[in-house]
Amino acid sequence: MTRTLLTGNGAAAWGARLARADYLPAFPITPQTEIIETLARWIDMGEMDCRMATLESEHSMITAAGAAAATGVRVFTATSSQGLLYGMEMLYTVAGWRVPLVMINVSRGLAAPITLETDHNDILAARDSGFLQLHCATCQEVVDAVLLAYRLAEDPAVRLPVIVNLDGFHLSFTREPVELPDGDLADRFLPTFDPGPGEIRAGKPTSQAVAVLGGGPYSYFRYECHLAALAALEVHRRNVDEYAGLTGRRYDALECYRADDAEVVFVMLGSFATKAKAAVDQLRQAGRPVGLVRPRLLRPFPEADLRRALAGKVAVAVIDQNLSIGKGGVLHGEISGALHGVSGAPPVIASFIGGLGGRDITAEEFFEIAGQTARAAESGQVPPPRLLYTLHELAEMRKLQAIAHVERQEEVPGP
Amino acid sequence: MYRIRFHGRGGQGMKTASRILGSAFFLSGFEVQDAPRYGAERRGAPIFAFVRAGRAAILERGNIDRPDLVVVADDTLVAIPGAGVLAGLHADSVLLLVTTVPADDWQQRLNTTGTVLTLPPPGGSERDPALLSALCAGAAARLTGAIEREALIRAVDEELALYPADTIAANRAGALAGFDALAVAAGRVGESGAVAADGYDAPDWIDLPADGVGLAAPTIHAGATSVEVRTGLWRTMRPVIDLEKCHRCTWVCGTFCPDGVIGVDAERYPVIDYDHCKGCMICLAQCPTHAIAAITERQGREADIAAEGEQA
Amino acid sequence: MKEPMYKSARDLPSAHLLGAGTAMCAGCGGLEVVREAYDVLGENTVFVNAAGCMTLMSVYPFTPFRGSWLYTAMASAPAGAQGVRDALDIRRAKGELEAGDDLEVVVLTGDGAGYGMGLSATSAAIDRGLDFLYLCYDNEGYGNTGQQTSPATPHGARTATDGALAGVAGEKKDLFGIWVANRPTYAATVVGSEPLDLARKVARAKSRSGPRLILALAPCPTGWGFEPSETVAIGHLAVRTGIWPLKEYVDGRVEHTRRPHPRLPVTDYLKTQARFAHLFEPEPNEQVLAEIQASVDAYWDAVE
Repeated sequence: MTRTLLTGNGAAAWGARLARADYLPAFPITPQTEIIETLARWIDMGEMDCRMATLESEHSMITAAGAAAATGVRVFTATSSQGLLYGMEMLYTVAGWRVPLVMINVSRGLAAPITLETDHNDILAARDSGFLQLHCATCQEVVDAVLLAYRLAEDPAVRLPVIVNLDGFHLSFTREPVELPDGDLADRFLPTFDPGPGEIRAGKPTSQAVAVLGGGPYSYFRYECHLAALAALEVHRRNVDEYAGLTGRRYDALECYRADDAEVVFVMLGSFATKAKAAVDQLRQAGRPVGLVRPRLLRPFPEADLRRALAGKVAVAVIDQNLSIGKGGVLHGEISGALHGVSGAPPVIASFIGGLGGRDITAEEFFEIAGQTARAAESGQVPPPRLLYTLHELAEMRKLQAIAHVERQEEVPGP
Repeated sequence: MYRIRFHGRGGQGMKTASRILGSAFFLSGFEVQDAPRYGAERRGAPIFAFVRAGRAAILERGNIDRPDLVVVADDTLVAIPGAGVLAGLHADSVLLLVTTVPADDWQQRLNTTGTVLTLPPPGGSERDPALLSALCAGAAARLTGAIEREALIRAVDEELALYPADTIAANRAGALAGFDALAVAAGRVGESGAVAADGYDAPDWIDLPADGVGLAAPTIHAGATSVEVRTGLWRTMRPVIDLEKCHRCTWVCGTFCPDGVIGVDAERYPVIDYDHCKGCMICLAQCPTHAIAAITERQGREADIAAEGEQA
Repeated sequence: MKEPMYKSARDLPSAHLLGAGTAMCAGCGGLEVVREAYDVLGENTVFVNAAGCMTLMSVYPFTPFRGSWLYTAMASAPAGAQGVRDALDIRRAKGELEAGDDLEVVVLTGDGAGYGMGLSATSAAIDRGLDFLYLCYDNEGYGNTGQQTSPATPHGARTATDGALAGVAGEKKDLFGIWVANRPTYAATVVGSEPLDLARKVARAKSRSGPRLILALAPCPTGWGFEPSETVAIGHLAVRTGIWPLKEYVDGRVEHTRRPHPRLPVTDYLKTQARFAHLFEPEPNEQVLAEIQASVDAYWDAVE
């Protein structure tokens, strides 16, 4: 194994190379573009035996990806943000075809207003599509997750596409030391592609993705997608064990950091979880029993693992880098749902929303989240969801608004 | 609540029939639901529409499983299991068939003691969909005993408001013909109650097995399975080849048939696959020697039965 | 590839590949085209389908195809064709498939997708030089949803969304011209009522590689308002009035395969269909009729 400095995008490209992806339908979008440029260069230089096709949109890209997988080859593709949403129809469609492929999503906030910086609204919009989801916190995890994703997608009990998610900038453009698995190790972990029962070729008539009439057949196919996704929990558990045996790196569905003896637990997705870990260390030094639980696998949802990890805790602080407009944090709803009615469920599940569109979550904010959540547990009063935003940020915003000649509304006198 | 189903073929106006009846109920002070079956309807294919009417707000939705009245605009549908004409008929249900066959015969054929009523097709022409729908609506209205003539006429006017005056007049006449023809059975169709919550049959829910992807993907693993769909049942008119007039060109009728259901036999005569022929009559229109004629499906079936008798 | 010879109509296949029992309407002009084309293409064909009437060709568990089929979505069937073609090539290159395992990749689309939502994906597939055949059944409206106006609806036609006054104000888009401007390896217009012309063109398209268009007028009894038995007759009239020119683009040149002499007046075609009935009753709309005739005359004047 070689240890080298790689960006998250570079790590994603290495994942595809080590997986010996046959086909790369592509479309550029910031901050994902480096992935397809890297692969294109390797293909041009003969370092990677793969065919690339530049499509004219993500909608077409995902169509081509699914069609190639249905025909019988291993497919890799990548997108981000607006692109993921532009292809949304095909996420549901391709998952319904029951074809395995791996797609990277480099998370980036959604328009409007348009931004290049990260948050998780894009990937969570794909939550119900039938694509399984692996979320990464480090560049190392990206390369490993791609191999785990192929193994999961192609398992006969699963046969569903998988998205590997990494955060824009914080992973995509950030170099970190990455230990690259050797090619033969990757080959041992990931056998050659099995086209499965539905491949498209002469002499083997198949009509794929056909229409249904009536709710009975429709329900059957949708339920079966769901059951296959649920089966992926156990398949992933086995894959993780095998991968840990080969590389020494373990990627359980949940990452639990100093959570066993914690009273207050942060729950969050993605790369900012490493910042949460640093905050946990500082809080521990200050004598505060705080830990972190980070779902790596979001679909299928590791509900039983979450219950085990969080039961008996005094309080949970769910930190959402997304915003379901008119509802709040998406992950908060998922965690609350998983814990509802479970014996020993934490009495307080507090919601904090922050880190939208590249906004930082500072160490002090993690400390304050821990503090407020612990106090809520003492008082028994669950605080209303907190939108992380400081007086200083608002003051800066007001300056921008002044330059934009925004008319400040006069204070409306009360009745 | 009244629960009424209309069965016909795509193009026979069953949606219009359900709307005329729905409006007539509404104009008579009832709460109403009416709808056609939702799906990919095709001309000639079996379809249905339904009406619910009651004095209280209607909370049921979707297809009617236990109808109080079933109106069948095209009696050839009765023999088609997929049409579901007889589905859910109960002891108090009324079955009204537009047919030339007497009700007693139908009772025998269907092996039922339930009420079967019949009505001759309008003006002797079973192919006039507009009048057929008005006739069915008028007959159904009379069978409920809850709708007056004036309400029926107003309902026809409202539903056909966009059509020319002579069409409206013809439909008024059609609706009244149905209404008057069923005077003897006025009020024969009653209202029925809802499914009771005590002593119901529990649904046989199962824990669905996680099937392998070979089963569980929406994929068909064989060619040409569509031949199991008997689209010949859509047909109301049947093309018949007069072999004496056929010049055995071997291509015109077979090539122009959209469904590809005309082949050529060993002696180079065309052969029509009646299991699948939809009765479009392109073959009849195109045959250069006019060797193809159209007969009604009813005549065709009678001829089939006669031929079978001769063989036996 | 050598193209098979279709010297006369008697050379047309009398046994048909496409299975019967599909849900297409009786007298469907689109189905007629697909059936005729499939006989020439053969069963080693994979149809990649865009949303439209033909979505209902395959309804679980029934398919009329003896080869393969993949339903995609409305906008991206050419991208699906790209994925299938590329994957077949990859598998050939890897030795997983023999030459005999290969398939002709055919996009099957209606005019709604072909002239509108799918145009970007089609244009890009041509740009990439994709080796595929694009078969568009043009019934001049969104037929499967009840014949609303599409970019292919002709001037003056009434549709479910242009029901008032004189019908559609705009002109039918020239999809053949758009393809030709992109310099494909082959493009042709066909109609099911001219099966020999169709068979020759499909055979010629099949013998070439690269992006190839077969654009078929598909008379639609349900959407256009005529008796199903008239589908072929109306197709003939479309050709004989010059409204639907039969032509092909080969080696950089457009050639007409049928020049109607004498050309019948367009009213012979228009008056057969309910969608144009408002141009004749209660009194003739001379202006729109003249516009339609002038447009057809101008086309043929330019050709001749």
